[in-house]
Amino acid sequence: MAYSEKVIDHYNDPRNVGSLDKSNDNVGTGLVGAPECGDVMKLQIQVNPETKEIVDAKFKTFGCGSAIASSSLATEWVKGKSINEAMSIKNTEIVEELSLPPVKIHCSVLAEDAIKAAITDYRNRSQD
Amino acid sequence: MTSPLFCFSCNSLQTIADNINYFEVLGFPLCFEIDHDELGNRYQRLSLEMHPDFFATAPEKEKRLSEKSSALLNAAFSTLRKPTSRARYLLSILTGDKRLKSDTLPEGFLQEMFTLQESLDELLESGDETALSGINENLQGRHTDIESDYAVLFKKFETSPENSEILQQLQTQLNSERYLRRLLDRINTE
Repeated sequence: MAYSEKVIDHYNDPRNVGSLDKSNDNVGTGLVGAPECGDVMKLQIQVNPETKEIVDAKFKTFGCGSAIASSSLATEWVKGKSINEAMSIKNTEIVEELSLPPVKIHCSVLAEDAIKAAITDYRNRSQD
Repeated sequence: MTSPLFCFSCNSLQTIADNINYFEVLGFPLCFEIDHDELGNRYQRLSLEMHPDFFATAPEKEKRLSEKSSALLNAAFSTLRKPTSRARYLLSILTGDKRLKSDTLPEGFLQEMFTLQESLDELLESGDETALSGINENLQGRHTDIESDYAVLFKKFETSPENSEILQQLQTQLNSERYLRRLLDRINTE
């Protein structure tokens, strides 16, 4: 199976790798895994508490090229969006953008889950 | 021995029934624990009878049946010989149309796997062989523990087949196995 050019680009030059301070109340962390293959993905967002806009995003993924590309793309997409807008990002959009083959669709699902988990974590923490 | 794929009395290939399972293919009951020597013996004996090489001059129908039977036999053997693939396969049969959650893991497990992956990053970078072999040994141990739990859990299910919580526990073990396998593969290939 060949990777698409966009997957290779994200794989060779992943955007926004790293982490944000987990203890910061404006940071939400999502940690998700794919039991089909053992991939683990962490995606973090930093939110402006006034505007609810995502001002920064970082990820770290241990997985195949498609999982890395999906999470790299996810961090690019969420930046600058409000958390409500980011919540509505669908895995199918990631599949389309990266031309993922059917066997790699679960990688895009993982990225969607990671965004949602990060936002949920942020909402829980900022309520306290 | 008996197998639905081949009749040893009349020495002939048998038509393959629909939805035959891998245990039946090799003449075993639907049970996790399996005699490994016997598994190997039966596999060899059946492959010798059914191999497409011996049907090269046979009528087309029989030739095709031998290919189909051999492929099924190979799939059955490679699935049953290893504990994890056998457990996964048996679980899918026992689950039937009951609903299991597919992504269950022990509490805190995913975070631990992520942390281990991060420390592997550092150790593989620095080439700290002592630390790597320590982690390797620890993970191997946990992997072996998981594999020995399969037999215990399947046995428990045999005595209380109405308790589908046991199947969910098996699913959790099988999920955990994938993450451990992933770490072990990383240590042993990078």
